[in-house]
Amino acid sequence: MREITYLEAVREAMSQEMRENEDVFILGEDIGVYGGAFGVTRGMIEEFGPERVRNTPISESGIAGAAIGSALTGMRPILELQFSDFITIAMDQMVNQAAKIRYMYGGKGKVPMVLRTPSGSGTGAAAQHSQSLEAWVAHIPGLKVVQPSTAHDVKGLLKAAIDDDNPVIFYEHKLLYKTKGDVPKEQYSIPLGKADVKREGTDVTIVATAIMVHRALEAAEELKKEGISAEVVDPRTLVPLDTETIIKSVSKTSRLVVVHEAVKRGGYGAEIASMIAESEAFDYLDAPIKRLGGAPSPIPYNPELEKLHVPQVPDIIQAVKETLNKA
Amino acid sequence: MKDLKVPERIAEENLVELYKQMWTIRYFEEKVDQFFAKGKIHGTTHLAVGQEASAAGVCALLDKEDKITSTHRGHGHCIAKGATPDKMMAELFGRTTGYCKGKGGSMHIADVEMGNLGANGIVGGGIPLAVGSALTAQMKKLNYVTVCFFGDGATNEGSFHEAVNLAAVWNLPVIFVCENNQYGMSGSVKEMVKIEDIATRAKSYGIPGVVADGNDIIEMMNVTNEAVERAKNGEGPTLIEAKTYRWKGHSKSDAKKYRTRDEENEWREKDPIKRFKESLISESIITEEQAESIRKEALKGIEDAVAFAEEGPMPTKDDLLTDVFA
Amino acid sequence: MAKEIFMPKLSSTMEVGTLLQWFKEEGDSVEMGEPLFEIMTDKINIEVESYEEGILLKKYFNVDDEVEVNACIGYIGEAGEKVPDSPPAPAAETESEEKGQGNSSVETAGKTVSANADSNENNDGKIRATPAARRVSRENDISLSAISGSGPNGRVHQHDVEQAIAEGRLAVTPLAEKIAADHGVDLSQITGTGARGKIEKQDVLSYLESVNVSDQEPVASPAKRIKLKGLRKAVADKMVESVQTIPHVTLTSDVDMTNVIALRKSLLPVVEKDTGYRLSFTEVIIKAVASALCKHPELNASLIGDEIVMNKEVNIGLAVAVENGLIVPSIKDVNQKGLAELTQISKELGRKARENKLKPDEMRGSTFTISNLGMYAIDAFTPIINGPETAILGVGRITEKAVAVDGELAVRPMMVLSLSFDHRAIDGAPAAAFLTNLKTNLENPYSLLV
Repeated sequence: MREITYLEAVREAMSQEMRENEDVFILGEDIGVYGGAFGVTRGMIEEFGPERVRNTPISESGIAGAAIGSALTGMRPILELQFSDFITIAMDQMVNQAAKIRYMYGGKGKVPMVLRTPSGSGTGAAAQHSQSLEAWVAHIPGLKVVQPSTAHDVKGLLKAAIDDDNPVIFYEHKLLYKTKGDVPKEQYSIPLGKADVKREGTDVTIVATAIMVHRALEAAEELKKEGISAEVVDPRTLVPLDTETIIKSVSKTSRLVVVHEAVKRGGYGAEIASMIAESEAFDYLDAPIKRLGGAPSPIPYNPELEKLHVPQVPDIIQAVKETLNKA
Repeated sequence: MKDLKVPERIAEENLVELYKQMWTIRYFEEKVDQFFAKGKIHGTTHLAVGQEASAAGVCALLDKEDKITSTHRGHGHCIAKGATPDKMMAELFGRTTGYCKGKGGSMHIADVEMGNLGANGIVGGGIPLAVGSALTAQMKKLNYVTVCFFGDGATNEGSFHEAVNLAAVWNLPVIFVCENNQYGMSGSVKEMVKIEDIATRAKSYGIPGVVADGNDIIEMMNVTNEAVERAKNGEGPTLIEAKTYRWKGHSKSDAKKYRTRDEENEWREKDPIKRFKESLISESIITEEQAESIRKEALKGIEDAVAFAEEGPMPTKDDLLTDVFA
Repeated sequence: MAKEIFMPKLSSTMEVGTLLQWFKEEGDSVEMGEPLFEIMTDKINIEVESYEEGILLKKYFNVDDEVEVNACIGYIGEAGEKVPDSPPAPAAETESEEKGQGNSSVETAGKTVSANADSNENNDGKIRATPAARRVSRENDISLSAISGSGPNGRVHQHDVEQAIAEGRLAVTPLAEKIAADHGVDLSQITGTGARGKIEKQDVLSYLESVNVSDQEPVASPAKRIKLKGLRKAVADKMVESVQTIPHVTLTSDVDMTNVIALRKSLLPVVEKDTGYRLSFTEVIIKAVASALCKHPELNASLIGDEIVMNKEVNIGLAVAVENGLIVPSIKDVNQKGLAELTQISKELGRKARENKLKPDEMRGSTFTISNLGMYAIDAFTPIINGPETAILGVGRITEKAVAVDGELAVRPMMVLSLSFDHRAIDGAPAAAFLTNLKTNLENPYSLLV
């Protein structure tokens, strides 16, 4: 197997698809010779030309709408937003237009587009360039939401997102861009709505998303030394959510810790916790569900404060022990 | 047609059809108004009585493969782009036989097959979509134009400026038609925009801006024709400002306190249908009697549409969750 | 065929509209879109434009009539067309729909109540245990109440239950457990008679008998239930709003009515000749109040939002009891009117109120309200302010009382005035000054002529 970075896997997924399908194109700010804010599209304009790697004005609402309109009329656009925080400026187009068009029109028309955008903190970019707003979009019927955590997953999930006939919000974590993993050279697809058990265990289920998958795995390794066996489940897509895998895991372990980087209050972890409380796994719960998430403050600039804002490995270890009455 | 200067592709029989279409639009709106007032249709509605010339005049120059995006005040655009009033009325009645199976209602009628990419409940929301549709035409080398209808109010939305700029820098085949009906809800355009003509805004984006009498269907056809030719020749977008007036309130329950009866009456004098009829008669294209029978045909058509709508079945619980995803 | 003109539904809450004016007469021609009549709804006045064109053939209703939404109020058609003499009945379809909705909401309410009752019952004697512990205890007929939990605050975990089972403690049948829970009985107090000491239904019942736990008495069934609606509902809402938002303070003062009685006696024939109505004490009090309000304008104010609005006009509202409620017609510009005019207006408003014929305008705009219970054996009371007004005067009966006058005991016709004021807008001292001024006005009524 060949090892490449998460970032390269994103680029490879797009390039392979664009070679296959003339309808697929990318648009976004500075994605041309500059290569995009994080360099994801570097080299692509040289291969595909400025028609299919379209540099746009700084107009998030305008370009989101243009992506939707072109999707509605037969293209399969990939829209890159430089930072996921900027989705606020494209929100009307994504929420009131893309998500609702098919339903409002009684099932006519479709909007096959992917909005790719880097999210998360850890780069010192401070409050307006570090957020994780996935719960906002997951709340909107008509949008699919993907949060890949590994190089292998990001390639397969992006292929599935491009192939999907609905608007998909595709979150790429900035700190994951440089991480490496085994990634097959050929095209492959990981279905949306299929969770992945990243580590099996018997005592507690940790459901973690994006970068938190890696922290949860690290925590699990530490816990093992103390005789605690943690199972780590990565939902990979928030909408649709693979409830079956999560329910099965919690029914087995009887304990659940949910970890995400987004602010805990109103975060997607609340949805997962409620889903479990309503499910048949309820009768197997042997401890209160724990949620870990970002602090209720904007993301601070100072690196120490920034770390304090989001869950770290020791926080996950502590939460797991609490659910086992071993804290 | 001695004195009537119309685009070449418009024949005399087209003019007669357009005359009927304008009445169809007006009677559709009047009927809808009446049903809302009776409580037979729920929700809300925005009527375009008085604005028939711009919808009919612009769409007269479009082919089936050309696209439009429309607004909350979009029934007229819909009819002009070839929608049938019966399925529209059924939609307003919330029936499964409506264009959107009763899920969209007055503000979201779309007929994608006929090139109507949909009305929009968000002011200015449809403008970037039209630009996207034009982008498809350019990238796939399809020779269609996209007409984007919006009101004077929408030109103060960021989406208008973003979208027009994008269309301009990419030279896209799109025609922006601003129906300046003088009011964004209760806000007079005079209070909300500092410039006299909204068409002036085109200058900022380096595209042509044209002011037209929106109550004169002939003038609307001529300016649209030029814009369509520009778009199809790869010369990029045009902004057309159609000066017009909505006779009715913004939506139901509007006491119209922000304007005077005198002003309304002045504009009623400029009734686009009456003016068109006078032209057709003075050009001897139709007689007074023919005009009258056309009007009655249009009315009959709307009454048939109501009958169709009333017969349609209501959606059920099973329909609630369908069509969320493709 | 002639087309119906109907009362339009202009808002989701509109049920009736009041006709304010017709712009057309029968026989006039009407164009589509031409204003036809004007109505007042619960929210706005609006000119209604015609949906039809033709001749106005029939008007069934006149100005000030209240008409139900969708009711036919006239016809437009061609000259000479026949139309019914009286308005046709509204379509039955809508009515039955409304009834259906009404029934379903009643049902829903009933369900909510019973659900609450259930959950209340369960509130007693809760045990802290995880869902998994509960499941295992359920599956093994083990009562959680006797298991000591190993978790925080004694929370019982699955492991604790499993341990208890292993030790063979406290088996209980589900039915016995439910009965015990329903009666708030601690199972550890009961000795089981079943296999291995399992507690069964009879064990719990015997225990209950021994401690004589009685069920709650059922609530007596009421004679009749009357739904709050219409005017009753409006009054109820207004009163709750007033009491909940306005900090009320009520001041009372005794007034010697000797001179008012004399004044009324001398003016009675004059006013009656002038107006045909008999002058009552109410009008004299109104006049005295108006005079006092002019001197104490802070009592003639309205508290709207965060603003105290000092009213220019002195419009006095008179609380009138009508069938099933209370309405307050208002007399405008009282300070500019004499007693004869006040008598005429107040009597006519009272009559219209009782006959339910008040125009909307006659029910609006009061700046101060008087509530008179003097016809009953009531001395003083605490009237509720008619918001956004800031004060209300309650008037009691006139009754002879022994009072000290100039150091001697005298019998005088006395009346108690009760002034409630909004303490957000007015403090005690100005309110007291107003009431004192009013008392002076009534004890020296001739001063009102000055």
